[in-house]
Amino acid sequence: MHLPLFTIWSSIHSLGWHGAFELLRGGVVLGALYALVALGYSLVYGILKLLNFAHGDVFMVGAFMGYGVLSVLSGHLGTVPLIIVMFVVAMLGTGGLGVAIERFAYRPLRNAPRIAPLISALGVAFFLESSVQLLTNSAHYQYSNYPVFFSLIEPAFSFHIEGVLEPVSIVSLIVVGSSIALMFALLFLVNRTRLGKAMRATAFDREAAAMMGINTDRVISAAFFIGSALAGAAGVMYGLQYSDISYLVGFAFGLKAFTAAVVGGIGSIEGAMLGGLLVGLVEVFAGGYAGGQWVDVAVFGLLIAFLLVRPTGILGKHAIQKV
Amino acid sequence: MEATTPKPLLELRGVSMAFGGLAVIDNLDLVVNEHEIVSVIGPNGAGKTTLFNLITGLYRPEAGEILLGGDNLVGLAPHTITNRGIARTFQTLRLFLNMSVIENVMAAQYGHTKVDVVRSMLRTPGWRREEKQIRARAEEKLSFFGQRLMGYRWDQPAYSLSYANRRRLEIARAMATQPRILLLDEPAAGMNPVETHEITDLISQLRDEGGYTILVIEHDMHVVEGISDRVVALDHGVKIAEGSFEQVATDPRVVEAYLGTKATATK
Amino acid sequence: MSETPEHPETPEAPPPAETPDAQTSRIGVDSWVAESEARRSRTPAALLSRGAARTPDPLKLLVFVAFAVSLPFWTSSGDLFIFGTLTLISAALALGLNVVVGFAGLLDLGYVAYAGVGAYTYASLSSPRWHLHWPALATIPIAMAAAGLVGLLLGISSRRLLGDYYAIVTLFFAQAFASFTNVTNPGDITGGPNGLPNVDPITFFGHKLASYNQQYYLILAIVVILAGATYLANMSRTGRAWRAQRDDPLAAQAMSIPVNRVKILAAVMGAAIAGLCGTIFAATYTAAVSTDYSVPFLILIYATVILGGIGSIAGVLLGAAIINCTLQFLAPQNDHPEVKRWLFYGTIILLVAMLKPVWRSLLVLVATIGFGFAVHALAVAYASHKWTSGVPSSGGSWIAHWAIIPNTDSFTGLNHGNFNNIVYIGLVVMVVITASLKGWWRMLALVPTLYLTVLAWENLLAASGGITAYLLFGVMLIALMAKRPQGLFGEARVEIV
Repeated sequence: MHLPLFTIWSSIHSLGWHGAFELLRGGVVLGALYALVALGYSLVYGILKLLNFAHGDVFMVGAFMGYGVLSVLSGHLGTVPLIIVMFVVAMLGTGGLGVAIERFAYRPLRNAPRIAPLISALGVAFFLESSVQLLTNSAHYQYSNYPVFFSLIEPAFSFHIEGVLEPVSIVSLIVVGSSIALMFALLFLVNRTRLGKAMRATAFDREAAAMMGINTDRVISAAFFIGSALAGAAGVMYGLQYSDISYLVGFAFGLKAFTAAVVGGIGSIEGAMLGGLLVGLVEVFAGGYAGGQWVDVAVFGLLIAFLLVRPTGILGKHAIQKV
Repeated sequence: MEATTPKPLLELRGVSMAFGGLAVIDNLDLVVNEHEIVSVIGPNGAGKTTLFNLITGLYRPEAGEILLGGDNLVGLAPHTITNRGIARTFQTLRLFLNMSVIENVMAAQYGHTKVDVVRSMLRTPGWRREEKQIRARAEEKLSFFGQRLMGYRWDQPAYSLSYANRRRLEIARAMATQPRILLLDEPAAGMNPVETHEITDLISQLRDEGGYTILVIEHDMHVVEGISDRVVALDHGVKIAEGSFEQVATDPRVVEAYLGTKATATK
Repeated sequence: MSETPEHPETPEAPPPAETPDAQTSRIGVDSWVAESEARRSRTPAALLSRGAARTPDPLKLLVFVAFAVSLPFWTSSGDLFIFGTLTLISAALALGLNVVVGFAGLLDLGYVAYAGVGAYTYASLSSPRWHLHWPALATIPIAMAAAGLVGLLLGISSRRLLGDYYAIVTLFFAQAFASFTNVTNPGDITGGPNGLPNVDPITFFGHKLASYNQQYYLILAIVVILAGATYLANMSRTGRAWRAQRDDPLAAQAMSIPVNRVKILAAVMGAAIAGLCGTIFAATYTAAVSTDYSVPFLILIYATVILGGIGSIAGVLLGAAIINCTLQFLAPQNDHPEVKRWLFYGTIILLVAMLKPVWRSLLVLVATIGFGFAVHALAVAYASHKWTSGVPSSGGSWIAHWAIIPNTDSFTGLNHGNFNNIVYIGLVVMVVITASLKGWWRMLALVPTLYLTVLAWENLLAASGGITAYLLFGVMLIALMAKRPQGLFGEARVEIV
């Protein structure tokens, strides 16, 4: 369960515009994180038609890598360089992890029955979760043990709503801003570069792409690297935003991010953004109005509703690009 | 097919189908009479397999009617259509590869059998009777191919069969659904000349001894010539010729469809 | 519409030759070559599966029953519960999952939640919670029906969709179910994190089945019935339809099989069996608790089905025994630590012995032993005494003369936790390196990898039993899928992609 999120909701007593703004603020930030993780699902699903269950746990590993950098370098570096190093290390680390996962768990199964890589993915998810549990001794770790966390929750600017000052913190600006920047970078990569063209070709027809001289193995590795690096970045941001991380944060987060990918239209980059936002808002508003205990059930309801009414997702059918 | 008045069994009226704005079947009329063998020919991409997919309910036509013995089939689920009496084989063999040869044929009798899973688990007398029947019918269908699919082969997995035997098994499996009309999608594709000759005889036999009406897609013109009561030529989803083999083979539009116009003709 | 005109006499090129054995893409290896290779293969797994294939099914069941019936006569009641009853419960659950995954080919990841539904239904109707104490003969069918209904609803909601969506919907359902019972808990119907305690034991016509032996025989009877029933279901019209649509859903439709209906039937049957197991589980533990029906349990059941062989009932039973006993031997409260140690070293030596030819495995073994003494001697010579004076967590102090085991009793300036983490991460890295190398290099890399495995085991893994077990199951799923997807007893399947 997301314990830090509970504190947000429990602080909301008076709803109305004032409370609604707080929910909106929380929902957008959470949605941006879901969107980043959803992109990784979408990218891999688009190319391999593989549901990478381990992706949520890659996100969790990213959060721990960021924490590791923080614990080693805190006090030795200024705030900005420290955060940059956290992002770089976590993104490179999870990117490499993603490539290794693909190489050892999925590549041997390219021509196996469809169910085999899914089971393997389940195995990877459990391997990562148990490994981190072993290494952290099942403990929770707090980003807020370090001063950087507090310098980031300072308000960047504030709104006056119903006479109350509603701050928007620096960290939420970083989260939303860098999520949007990363998504546009990914859009550029997929639509404008050689690698992106190779990805689209591989997604469309892997065998034909291979016959046209595209090294599909390398394209798939690249997709895993990029998707996992995005999840790693999301992991660091999760820590900076909510502080509390443990080996359990990845699984439920991954499921909801996958819901975001499905709701937005799996395989579509813009869809992942929209889906992430929608899932984030549904989660936070359900938590705010119905109570924190309802969030998982609410997001599950959203998934079922979409599968019944519009299984292709918001942008699924009409997305021209098929990443 | 001359003495009695032909009775239409399968009838397509104004059937159209398009993929992304591209017409694959365009306003097609087609009649297959009872006990008739009709061949559909046409160059690649003419819409022949799409035609089969429409008849068997895998695609839903955008316009038109498909009638079997006067009942409209449009909108029915594929398995319902099969139960009504249409069975097919696939151009790209689609056997149940991990099941044994005889199980492939037994599985296809699902629609005409009734015993549910609870009675199967209890092994009731009804189950015993029906299972015996299913097996007998499967053996009967397999025996249609002489010794090709008999004896020790019954219990072999389907993936161990040779290419030609896979084609035969597909036909046996289709027969097991107790169809009135069999749709054969390129039954001679990939076969050597001897096997091709054999399949030509077999198709006539299916009609004469098995009593099936047959609609067949075939590229091998020797086969088409050998079996067809009537030939229909398609091009770009449109029927361009219909009649006896001689009539169709000499039709200038058919020749053009296969060889191209003068400018592109190379042969 | 610019297709190349084709001469009418040219037959269309036949479809590319299929490669029936999807696992081996070696040139010239068709299904026959692969089969004959499999026949000649002498690996333990191959021998086991060949032996199993030659034994008739009823005989296998008889052997199993004879062994299982005798178990209470030569084990203590504690061991009977841990190794007997729990194995049988997971076997029963795995038999139901085998219908869904093995026969029908559906990846149902919400499976344990159905067991949860069964457990909570039973606990609501037969416990002090609502002061209802209905007899088991009434509540068990109700619980099965409730679980089956949930399976039906989930199946319907994703019936038109790809198999992958079914997997994600069911997985999310498992998560939502755990969350619902644990925190949502509207009106306190599920008891929250405490669950529903004081559940009645199962009673038949007034006879309470509360002792370990009674429970054990009841569950044994259920397992035998389930094994028989699912076997008979598979060998029938419905079973053929399941397997047909698993191989090729499109062809199955064209062959008169209502694919969605038979899929949902499998899902409902699996869910009902899970519901039954849930009632037994709740009655055995005298409580229905949310965390019992969450994802770790799911992995356990999946590991059971997959290790034994998807679709093979004998495999499921064997898999349940192996997986549950592994879990129990690794458990921290286990009172057979020496068995745990010998199992570990036995497994390591067995794995090394699978290297061919034999002299290679001997070489690796000798080299590892030598390497260990060398490293240990270096540590003794150059590092503080504290580095090497620890006690192995699995007991057996002789191992401390070979493996580096830092002393945890006194604070030495050396952070013991970090040492463990470095060993573990180093092990993972070495495994990855070993797996990517070939020939002599791989043999060379194997030596420090094995030594690190022992270090990780003695310092870390043996002491954190539960986590180690799940770690092992995760790795096992990955390795099995890559090397032997049919498990021990399953038949290698052919799929044309």
